Amino acid sequence: MSPPKNPEVTEKNPDDQVTRMIILGPSADISQTELVRILHMMEIPLTIKSTCYGAVIGGDKDVVEQAVQKIREVDEYNIFTKDRGFPPGDPRRCRAKRGGAREGFHQLEKEFELLEDVSKALKNPQKVKVKECKKISPEEFRKIAEECK
Amino acid sequence: MKIAIFPPNSLILADLVERRGHEPLVLQSEIRKKVTSSEIDSPPLNITEEDPIKGLKYAAIEVPSGVRGRMAIFGPLIDEADAAMIMEDAPFGFGCIGCARTNELCMFNIRKRNIPVLELKYPTSKEETIELVNKINEFLDSLEEKNG
Repeated sequence: MSPPKNPEVTEKNPDDQVTRMIILGPSADISQTELVRILHMMEIPLTIKSTCYGAVIGGDKDVVEQAVQKIREVDEYNIFTKDRGFPPGDPRRCRAKRGGAREGFHQLEKEFELLEDVSKALKNPQKVKVKECKKISPEEFRKIAEECK
Repeated sequence: MKIAIFPPNSLILADLVERRGHEPLVLQSEIRKKVTSSEIDSPPLNITEEDPIKGLKYAAIEVPSGVRGRMAIFGPLIDEADAAMIMEDAPFGFGCIGCARTNELCMFNIRKRNIPVLELKYPTSKEETIELVNKINEFLDSLEEKNG
């Protein structure tokens, strides 16, 4: 006889499980340790992993979104977040198992260099004109091609 | 609004889109389906039967299989978008965006869709970064105005 099902335990849909990377900008007011402590203090069912750039959190979609919203409030202009495909600590990506940085790290490293200026721009927004791209006429294109000869 | 971003795994673009209350169509959400699905034997090395069929919608049979495989993931994201942002000349190590032909095909598909598109260059200095952020915010705000 199979054991009776607990009505409180419902099966989770894997599509509803999401992972988020929380990245601290270079001028962030908090450290990685503080970030993880704040996440723990939220007392919501999350998987939290401390990383060199901040933290990785995983869990139900609505819970993760709630955590992201709350953590952004801590330091709005210096906390950045990004979706992640693999769950936190996944052995296929975790550097502890693979040896060497995971694939996405190099990209993150490159974008991290810009985060300080991004947060400055977010703090002091300025009006700029966005030029709409338009197609050029064949004559104009011919002229450009001839100039490049 | 759903905004397609290119490179589709960019932290800066995805974060800025979310800050303005839009939904970024990112690559990671598609990859998640591949690596957490129990139907795939050893993710992410295997693909399903459906993937090459999906890729054929965007790239012909004689196109290298890598392009078709990538387009099976990027293509549906582009189709779903209400607007798009392209950041050209991103550094080479930009994640799995190492295929120049797929990048060209993606940008072509985005431009072909006749949706509002913001085209930018990957910034290399402080001034360029600040201008990039302001342009993105301006573009996202203008989308809100157009849609009420």
